[in-house]
Parts: sequence; C-alpha cells; structure tokens
Amino acid sequence: MFLEIFRFELSYRLRRPATWAYFGLLLIFGAFLAVAGGGGGGGSEKAFVNSAASVSGTLITFSIFGIMIAAAVMGVPVYRDVEHKVQHYYFTYPITERGYLLGRYAGSLVWLLFISLGLHVGLILGYLLGPALGYEEAARFGPLNLWHYVQPTLLFYWPNLILAGTLFFALVALSRKVIISYVGGVLLFIGYLVSLTLSADIENKFWTDILDPFALGTFGNITKYWTPVEQNVLTAPLSENLLINRLIWGGLAAVLLLFTLFRFDFQRFLSGRGRRSKVKPEGPGMVATPVVEKARLPIPQLQFSGGLFLRQAFRQGWIEFRSILRSPYFLAMIVGGILFLFLDGFLGNRIYGTPTLPTTYSLLEAKNGTYVIFAFIILIFFTGEVVHRDRSVGFDQIADALPVPNWVTYAGKFMAMCLVSVFLATMVMVVGVLSQTFQGFFDYQFGTYLTDLYLFELPRYLQLAMLAFFVHIMVNKKFMGHVISIGVWVLLFGLNDVADINYNLLLYNYRPGYVISDMNGFGHFYASNNAFNLYWLLLGSILLLIGNYFWARGTEDSFRTRLRVARQRITRSNLAVLALLTVLWITTGSFIYHNVSVQNTYTTVKEGEQFRADYEKKYSHYLGIDQPKITDIVVHADLFPEDRRAHLEANVRLVNRTGAPIDSLHLSPGVNDERTITALRYNGKTLEPSLNDKKFGYRIYALPAPLDSGQTATLDMVVDVAYEGFPNEGFGSDVVANGTFLNGSVFSGFAYSGGGELESDLDRKKYGLEPKDYVSPPTSDLRARHTMLFNGDADYVTYEATVSTAPDQIALSPGYLQRSWEEDGRKYYHYKMEGKMDAFFNFSSARYAVARDTWRGDNGDTVAIEIYHHPTHDRNLDRFIDGVRASMDYYSRHFSPYQDRQMRILEFPRYANFAQSFPNTVPYSEGFGWNADFSDPDDTDYVFNVTAHEVAHQWWGHQITPSNTRGANQISESMAEYAALMVLRETYGDAVVPKFLKYEVDRYLSGRAGESKFEKTLLDNDTQSYVWYRKGGSILFALQDYIGEDTLNAAFARFLDDFAFQPPPYATTEDWYGYIQEATPDSLRYFLEDSFEGIVLYENRARKAVVTERPDGRFDVTLTFDSDKVRYDGNGTELERPTRRNLIEIGVFAEDGTNEDGMTEKKPLFVEKRWITPGAGQTVTVTVDERPVKAGVDPYSKLIDRVPDDNLVVVE
Amino acid sequence: MTLEITNLNKVYPNGVHAINDCNLSIPTGMFGLLGPNGAGKSSLMRTIATLQEADSGSITLGEVDVLREKDRVRRLLGYLPQEFGVYPKVTAETMLDHIASLKGIGVRSERRAIVDGLLDRVNLTTHRKKQLGTFSGGMKQRFGIAQALLGQPRLIIVDEPTAGLDPTERNRFHNLLSEIGENTIVILSTHIVEDVTNLCENMAIISQGQVIARGNPSELVRGVSGRIWSKQIDKAELPVYEADTDVISTRLKAGRTEIHVYADAAPDGSFAPVAADLEDVYFHHIKRHEGQLITA
Repeated sequence: MFLEIFRFELSYRLRRPATWAYFGLLLIFGAFLAVAGGGGGGGSEKAFVNSAASVSGTLITFSIFGIMIAAAVMGVPVYRDVEHKVQHYYFTYPITERGYLLGRYAGSLVWLLFISLGLHVGLILGYLLGPALGYEEAARFGPLNLWHYVQPTLLFYWPNLILAGTLFFALVALSRKVIISYVGGVLLFIGYLVSLTLSADIENKFWTDILDPFALGTFGNITKYWTPVEQNVLTAPLSENLLINRLIWGGLAAVLLLFTLFRFDFQRFLSGRGRRSKVKPEGPGMVATPVVEKARLPIPQLQFSGGLFLRQAFRQGWIEFRSILRSPYFLAMIVGGILFLFLDGFLGNRIYGTPTLPTTYSLLEAKNGTYVIFAFIILIFFTGEVVHRDRSVGFDQIADALPVPNWVTYAGKFMAMCLVSVFLATMVMVVGVLSQTFQGFFDYQFGTYLTDLYLFELPRYLQLAMLAFFVHIMVNKKFMGHVISIGVWVLLFGLNDVADINYNLLLYNYRPGYVISDMNGFGHFYASNNAFNLYWLLLGSILLLIGNYFWARGTEDSFRTRLRVARQRITRSNLAVLALLTVLWITTGSFIYHNVSVQNTYTTVKEGEQFRADYEKKYSHYLGIDQPKITDIVVHADLFPEDRRAHLEANVRLVNRTGAPIDSLHLSPGVNDERTITALRYNGKTLEPSLNDKKFGYRIYALPAPLDSGQTATLDMVVDVAYEGFPNEGFGSDVVANGTFLNGSVFSGFAYSGGGELESDLDRKKYGLEPKDYVSPPTSDLRARHTMLFNGDADYVTYEATVSTAPDQIALSPGYLQRSWEEDGRKYYHYKMEGKMDAFFNFSSARYAVARDTWRGDNGDTVAIEIYHHPTHDRNLDRFIDGVRASMDYYSRHFSPYQDRQMRILEFPRYANFAQSFPNTVPYSEGFGWNADFSDPDDTDYVFNVTAHEVAHQWWGHQITPSNTRGANQISESMAEYAALMVLRETYGDAVVPKFLKYEVDRYLSGRAGESKFEKTLLDNDTQSYVWYRKGGSILFALQDYIGEDTLNAAFARFLDDFAFQPPPYATTEDWYGYIQEATPDSLRYFLEDSFEGIVLYENRARKAVVTERPDGRFDVTLTFDSDKVRYDGNGTELERPTRRNLIEIGVFAEDGTNEDGMTEKKPLFVEKRWITPGAGQTVTVTVDERPVKAGVDPYSKLIDRVPDDNLVVVE
Repeated sequence: MTLEITNLNKVYPNGVHAINDCNLSIPTGMFGLLGPNGAGKSSLMRTIATLQEADSGSITLGEVDVLREKDRVRRLLGYLPQEFGVYPKVTAETMLDHIASLKGIGVRSERRAIVDGLLDRVNLTTHRKKQLGTFSGGMKQRFGIAQALLGQPRLIIVDEPTAGLDPTERNRFHNLLSEIGENTIVILSTHIVEDVTNLCENMAIISQGQVIARGNPSELVRGVSGRIWSKQIDKAELPVYEADTDVISTRLKAGRTEIHVYADAAPDGSFAPVAADLEDVYFHHIKRHEGQLITA
C-alpha cells in the first residue's frame, strides 16, 4: 500500500515541470551567488568566498527561504486530492490512511531533498567558474571540498527543510487548507526572527541558540569568533547548544508527523472540518412557493453623473478595503508585522545590553527593521488581490457589465490600497504609543509621529502600491504579477545594496536617508525627502494613468485586444493630464538633479575608489614633506545655524622646525561641496596658489621668501561653510539649525595625508597600488616621532577662539570663557585656553540647558563641571556629572593632576554616534546615553563609563600626546578604556566588571574574525579599533589584577611624569611598554609577551565539580577542568600551544547575591590564582566554609577565552 | 425596442468559430435561446453584454450601437452570467446596495427599498446579513438573479439562470421573470426546453455558432407536428433503425428504448404518431444541422 503510493508520488513528480523549475531556480540562484562572490561568510577579505563557514552559512540561510519551496512541495500532495476533487472517490479505494499519508509524505520528501540539492550544484559550479569570470578577485576562491557541503547539509540544511516540510504537510493534512500552512510558515519564520532579535543582547546567547528553528543564530554563535583561516577550513562542531537545538526542532518534526499519522482519517478529511458550512437548511415553511402578491418594487431614478461616480469609487474602495481587513492572510501578516514593531521597539536599541527609553524617534525607527518588509509584502500581495479580485472570485462578468466608467472601478480599487497604506502607517503610531504607555513613558511626540508617518513614510507605501498596481494591470495574471512586482522590488534592492548603484533619482521608491533628532527635529531632511517623495508619486501617478488604459474589462485578455482597447480609451483630456503629470515629474526630477548633481557632487562607489587611488598616485610623494608647524591659534568663527552656514577665520603663527628652509606651503583641503577656502594670507599678504588642483583639492603656494629654519610667520586662513541644496545621501550635519558640531579640521591641513587612501588590499590591487599593511611609520622613524598623532601640523599651541551664533544659542570651543556679549542681534563668546594644548578643537552651538557642578580634589584643586544638554534630556545628567567627578578622583589620585579647571560635556544631534575628547571639552552624541534607561541596576552604566573614557583622554591623549607611529594609538585608547573600567569598578564595585569584560572580549573576538589584513599586536596596531579598545582594555585590566592596581598605575604615573606636555619626540608604544615591563615581575613576563607582543587566547573549561561534606561541617570541592593556551599569528593560524605553566584563578562560589546597588554579584567562597600547566582533565580540591553552588577556572573570565561561558560549572 | 443582431462573427484565437454569421431580431418579451453545449450561446450573450468584442457584424438595441456605445448599453442592462462568483467577505445586502449604486440608483432610500424588495423576491431576506462566501450554490444563484434585476434594466440577459435551483426556487424565478414589464427584452439561455415552452414568446435554436431555427415556440412545434413517430425497440436494433430512418432522439422508457423518428408519414405500421413538443423541434433541427454540416 505504502509502496504503491510512494512509487506513484515519485513518478508523478518526476514529470512535473514544477519539480525541475524549483531545482533549476536553486541552481541558478546558487550559481549567481557564487560567481558574484556572495555567500554566508563574514566580512574578511582573507576568508574565501567559498570557505567552509561561508558554504554552511549560505546553506542555512537558504534553508530559511527554502520554507517557500518546502511549502510548495510538501503542502500540495494531500491538498492536490482536494483541489482536483479526487478525494471523494480516491478514499473509497481499499487503501489505509497511514499508507496513504506516509506514501505521500515520503514520496514528496524525497523530491524536496532532491530539489534542495540544486543549490549545491549551483554553488559548486559557480565557485568553479568564479575565478575565470572575474566578478570577484580570483584570489578569493578556495579549492573545492565536498565535505564542506555534506556536513552542513546533514546537520542544518536537510533537517531544516524536513522540519518545514513536515509542518506544512501536517497542517494541510489536518486542516485541508493551504492557508493554514502559510500561517505555519510565518510562525516558523517568526521563531527565527525572535531569536534574531534576542541575539542583540549577548546575555541571551542560550535562548538564541535554542529558539532558532533553523539554527542560523546557533551557527552564528559557534562561528562568530572564527578567524579567516578557521572560516576557510572548519565546519560547525556539534556543540551542546546546537545538539539541543537540533534535537528539539527535529523532535518537533517527528512529533508532528506521528500526530498527523494518528490523527488523520479519511472521513474527517472529507467532511472538511474547520470549514463547517454556515448555511442552515432552509426551513420547511419555505418549500411551497408562496405566491403572495408583493408590492411592486419602486421605480428608481437612475443617474449617471460625476458626483455619483465619485461616491461609487469611494464605496468600491471601502468594500475592497474591508475585504482585505477580513482576509486571514492580511491578519497573519499584519499580526507578524505588529509583533516585530513591538519586539524591535522593546528589544532593539540596546547599547551594552542597556535599554534606551522608548522615545518617539526610536519607536518610529523600529518600523525600518522587519515591519517595513511585512508592509511591502502586504502592499504588493493585496494590490494583486484587489486588482484581480473580481476575476478570481468570478464576479468580473457581472461587474464589467455594470454601467460605470472604467475609472470608477479603477480609482476605487486604488483607493483601497491607499487605505491599506494609511492603515500600515497608522499602525506604527498605534503600536508606538502602546509601547510607550506599557513602558510607562508618556512623552508622546505626536507631531513627530504624524510628520514621519504621513509625510515621510506614507508616500513610500503609496509609491510601491502604484508600481504594484501598474505591474498587476499590465501583466494581468495574478501570480506572475506578484512575481514581477516582488522581482522589481528585489532588483531595486539588489542594485542599491549589492551592486552599489545608489543614485536615488534612478531607483524607484528610493530617497535619501534621514535621522530624527530631539535636538534638531527633522532638520534639513524635509526638502530632500519631500522632493523625492513628490518625484516618485508623480511617476507612480503616470503609471496609474497608463495602467488605466490597459485595465482589462470584459472576458477578452489577449494583449492585442487590450492594446486596441487602450487606444480607444486615449482621449484628449486624459492625455492632457498625462502630459501635465509628465511635465511636473520631469520638473521635479530636474530640481532634484540640480540639487544632487549640480549644487552637490555625486560620485559612484567606483568613481570614489578611482578618485582615491588617483589622488594617492598623484600626491602621496608629498607625504611627510617639510612644512612649518603651528604654534599659536586665534579663531574667529561666525556660525549661522538658521542658514546652515559658517564663516571662519584662523590667524595662526607658524615656525619652521625642520632645520632647512621651506619655500612653499602645501594645503590639502580635499574636494568638498560645502567648504571653500576663500582667502589665504601669509605674513599679511594674500597668497595665490602656484598649483591649484581642483579635481583633487590640493594646492601649493610658493612663499614670497623661503621660511628659514627657526623663523616664524603668520598665516590667516578664511573658510566658508555653506550647504547648497541637498545631496544624494549623507547627513551634512556639521552646521545645523540646532546642534552644530564643527571640527577644527574644517581648516585645511598641510601637505598630503594618507587618511583617504584605499584600505582594502584587494581594492588597492585592482587600482594598481601596493598592499598597505600599516598607515603609520614604525617607531624608528624620527620624523614620525616628532609628529603628533592627532594633528601633524602643530606641536603644543596657544589657543583662543571667538565664536558667534544665533541669539538663542550657546556657542562653545575649548578654553575658558573670557567674555560673552550681544552684537547686531547675535551672541558672541570669547574662549581662551590657559597654557598650551594640542591643536585639537571644535566649535559647537545649540539651544542648550546647562547643568553645573564642582569637583574638589584632596589638594584643594577645583574643577567646574558643565553639562550642555538638550533641555528635555535631563534624565541621566547625574551620571555624566558623577562620571566626571569619579574620573577626576581616580585619575588625579593615580595618574597626575588634571591640567585644566573645567570639564564640559556638549550634546550634539544623533547624526553620528560617538563622543570625542577635545581639551576640557567633550562633544557627546544625543544617541548615546542621554535617553538610556538605567533602571535595572544590572545594566551597564555606559554613560558613566563613556564619560570616564572621554575624561581619561584629557590625560591619555592631551597630557601625553602620542607620536604618529605604529602602536601609539594604544597610549590613547587602550589607556582610556582601562582607566574608565577602573573608575567604573571603583564606583560600582567588582560586580560590574564581568559583564563589561564580556562585551569587550566579544567585540575583540568578533573584530578579529572579520579582519581583512592581519591582526596586529598592542605594540604595532595602528588601525584596528577592536585591538586598541577591546583587547587593550581587557589585557590592562588583567595585568593590574596580576601585579596590583597601584603598582601598574604608579608605572603609568611615571610615564605621564616623563612625557606629559613635553616637546618632541612624543611617546611611542616602546616607551609605554617600557614602563609596563618595569612594573611587572619576571614570573609574569610571559603574560606581557603573550598579550602585548603576540596574540594568545585561552581555552579554559570547567568540566565537573563535586562537593563532599566534611565531618567538621565544611565542604571539600573537587573541580575537574581543562586549561590550554593557543598562540596565533595575525591571520589566525594556530602557531603553538605552549606547555609552560600559567597563573590562572580557581574559584568556588555560593549562590549569586546582590550588592548594595542591587546589582547581581558573585559570592566567592574561595578564589586563588594558581600556577596551572596546560592540560585536560586536571583536578584541584579546595575546602570552603559554606555549601558551594558553582566552581570554575578563571571564573571571572579575566583572560581572553572564546568560550567564557564554560568556565564555571554547577557543583554536584 | 428591438435588439437587432446582424451578420455577427467571432473567431477565437484558438480557431473556434464561436459566432458564425449570426442574424437575430429579438423583440421585447421573453426570448429563449436553446442550443447544445458549446453552441456559442454564451459567446453571443457576452457580446451583447459588452464583455466581448466581435470580429464583424453589428448589434443594435433601439438606436444604441451595442458594440461601440458600451456605456449606454450597460445602463440598460441586467446580466446574469452562466458562472460567476461573489466577494466572499461581503454581506449580500452590502453588495447588492453597492451594485445598485453602480447601476445608477443614487438615492440611498430608493436603493434600500429596492434591495430589500429584491432580496425578498429571491427569498434571501433571512440571509441578507451573511457573508456571500458562506452561501450555498442555490443561494448564490438567487443573489445573481437579484443583482441582474437591479435598476429597472430594459435588456436582461440570463445565462442558465435556473441551474442549481431546486424546483421551488425555479418556480419562484419563473414568477419573478413573468413580473418583468412588457417593454423589456429578456434573453434566457438554457438547456431546459420546458422552460422555453413555458415562458417564451420567441426563441431561437443555435448550433455551432449559427441560428438554425427561430420563431414562436408553438409555431415551431406546429412545423413538425404530424411528422414525429415513436416506437419501442430493443437496444440492439437501434443501428438498423438509424440506418433506415431519421431517428432524432432515443430515450429509455420502462427498460425499453423508445425512438422518435422524423418522417412525413409513418415509416411502417409499428410506429405510432406522437404529439410533437418543443423537444422534438429541438432535436430535429440539431440533427438536421449536423447532417448538413457533414454532407456539406
């Protein structure tokens, strides 16, 4: 029985074109992906595009989209019998229910698995052809290894397809409704997305691992720290979480199948349970025909006028709209979308795992996550439904013969889609306000909601609906219409995202990105967004009008007939409207073009690369040429926030310190739409450039007379900043209506700087440039040691600035406020720095509120603390102030006195997310902590931490100014990171450290996994932020844990003592490392070598801990653990596993408690550092006083370990 | 007002000659259209109902050119297609109200009265608040009838209107049709010969796109009366009779086969004369037309 049905299924599908269509589709997809060098790999150029990890990632990702194919293949075998109405007799044959079901199931499954192999064939072919076709560098393709395909297929790909397939099969067999299986697919997908959202917080790792039905997240967690070398050769090992995941979801599939087998019976299936007919049998009273004479129907007045037509159209739209609202598909999708609005609103937007308040802008941004995908799919899908509704329900013959003009039906149907668009936009506000209310946040900004949703977002929905409407009418087949509409959408996305074609004027429905800011509202984004929205709405309207000509009415749909009919429908008046719209469209387009490409410069990605390469080739020989140094700076900066314009003049004094005469001045202002050097005076005399390369923005000015060594001169530079029109993309946020943040680099630097050079070695090769391993010279380069890292044009300078701004704003710049006054209706502020500083300055202006405090040191020093913030951002001010105070305490006690008498923090709009430390001045992004919600004491207080980091730069960066040599960045960033962590610990206690370190290590390990060149060490790293922040911070923390906080800090104090504010040569990592070595005992030299000179990861793992109670009431704990240490080269290749012993902590703990701040804290019963020789299965026994709960090796994860979670086990 | 169809032709892209030089003049009153499956009845009706273009020929309704002035036709038209569907998620009342509005009944109160009245006529009053998707086949058909009658149409085209109706509802429908004013053209297409006999003053028989007979049903019957003969035979003998006589129909009667033969006189004594009915007319014409096609 089973065999016969199984055989029938096999041979039936062998001849179905769909089988081969799906197979071919996967093959083509795979081949394209492979040839284009795409795949599931990470970001590193060193990993092959067909690395083992990339192949696995691709297969797993496809298994998610494969649920569509699984639905098509596994959903139909039973439904087929319903659809073709075969079931009524088929089930009367002498077959058993189980034989029938299993036969259908097994036969279909075999085909599903076969079809799925199309992808493998495509990938393998593509990767083999890839090097020859050259869309991706040949060097990025590795050799073929079949195991890399087999292993993930067995572990992920097939199990996922079987799960999805079984689900669809079961749902259809039990419900006999295909729609139910779609709902099942959506649920499965939601499971995946939920786990994806959870993964935003690395604390949720376990749940991410378990809940993802496709194990893509699990796979990601296993592989995310793999270096490129490991990605190339490793397939995912069956870790514990992965095993649990596979068992749970595989088990679910088995249970579903069994349940279906037992539950299914022919009779139930035939009776169509679940689709109970709602028709009651008509009562017996109606059988006889009551020929009661009825009143005649009234004779109506028929009217056929414009007014009625309009009402009819509205009516049609409303009926269509209500039909959509009642569709279960719509419900399923909108519920999914809403779920994600909630999830993204609740869980998104975390920094260091700490939530941000549900501000209106953050809830509005939640829609850009997953909701917009749901919205677009709803729009495309239901446009098709609406356009084809009459035909698909069979009402068309009636409707088409009704006495209404085409446009009434047409407009009515489009109106329904407008209503759907409004509904989708409104839903964001409804969910947003509900989210805010649930979270007890009542600052609803309805104006922001309305502007964003109805002015910015709604037009996009309408544009998409218009396009889909047009496509559906032209194609005139529902399914093909869906395919083409989605195809167009995906094509646009692909062009923009993959092929780097990003000229918004050419991509239907696209427009420049924008950011909503509390400080600056929608700022300067109105103009560009409104223009683009209008432009696309006009094109959409043109499409709609053309569509109206082709609107199929009647039963004939051959294209010839439709074309003939279309010609008949063209009238003088509708042609005039069409022409008018086209003129308006072209006018809007020209306006945008003028803004984007005339008033601003648009460059394609390729042009940009070419430009950078050419610039380097042409001017890099000027790198490091002799130029004077700046010694004194006086700036007059006039900011006009209301016009987004600034006029600045710098009067500087120069000196020649090179030892040889300098005959020309080189300026490299670069090419910039908004900034122009309007005048340059040397010793009061205007200079004309002897070379003015406008293409690359490089100028050479011959000096009237050479500047001899030791001589000084004055230089005045006038710069104007103005924004004309709007660009294709980008925020242009330096000068804005409220929240100007203009960096001192607005003045041109001297000579060539390598800052704009191409970084990717593959790109460099493509443009004929040498690979670039380092950007900074080695420490042996004497000139580099005499150059400051952050501004090579100056040594320590005197600084003075007068900044003017709008009368309701406060303007700031480094230094002390000397005087402020009003003049000509503008506010002026004069700042002057006492003593000298490094030439690193900014001009900020906004409508600020100011919070003030004073710090008093033990020696009587006082520091005025000022927080310049947006008036409503007053929630976390204490944390900023406490951060400054605690930093002053710690740094002045451990390092050296603070050089200034004030510390200011200035909020700037969230167009960028960072904080930056200028002398006594720290601009600090609006998006970074001002709206954070620290109500959970376990969440990292990153406002405090980042404040401490930026304040630390006053020492590490401004007192010691690193030289422009390799590794010198560590002196600034690693030190600031370390210092901030120490301040954090001093204020919040030990409990705060583990979570913080966990994030540091996570980001270090993820960073090195995506490295495209090679990982550098703490001594020579010059570009890798994951090394200087993340590795540096955690290594220095571990070091102070070994040798003592005071010992290490004393070494740093000596370093400061010797180098702070000293003339060149400036500090190098060798200087820095010297002080560290001096403070470290010989026994721990191995740790310094491992950490600073090399790359070393630990592999510590607690296996088992057993407790026995002693007669004296104490407890013996025997811990079994593994310990190992691996040394890597920069590529991530394992070099050796040293056998020398290491000093590692062993710990035994009671139940976690909470500290006085309410923070979860480990309660150690025993912690001790022991010398441990690498090896597996070691044991150690310790005695503790209380009943132990957990025990482990390196329990606080102070050492860098790729799996820190297994360092602790529960005591048995 | 008369509907004049002149030299109408339609060939589908697949080569089927659906309407073949059709000429018909349809006066007011009930007009029956008889014909076997695939004869072109529905094609003809769709063409009259503005849903389909013709290749050549003309149709006029009074002074309205049906093929060109579609909007004017539609204002006079009530159409019930042979197969149709409904918006499943909309109630019968809402949908009828909407269609009434589309048919030009702009005044809300009028619309309501007419919709209520029609729902009552087709016996759907108790179901008027139900979504159309839940309707049974017969209920749906009655809904279709109601929408066709909305808006005082002057030209009503109903294609197989009683398919799926039980005898009671069929009766009710016939009554409803008979209420329609005299100056309205009603074209009723059906297989059920009896319906035409009972209802129609005029009729036509269509086969393979051509009109092969037309006239008043009783006149047509009179045309064959006295020429129809019947005989009960064994099934095995049928080929013999078919070879010798013009057998127009066979049917089973009490286990024996009864044949009807068309002949000017009784072929032999064993044949009995039959009082001819419209069915005999129908079979006679179809048979003759097919014969002509074969010999032609």
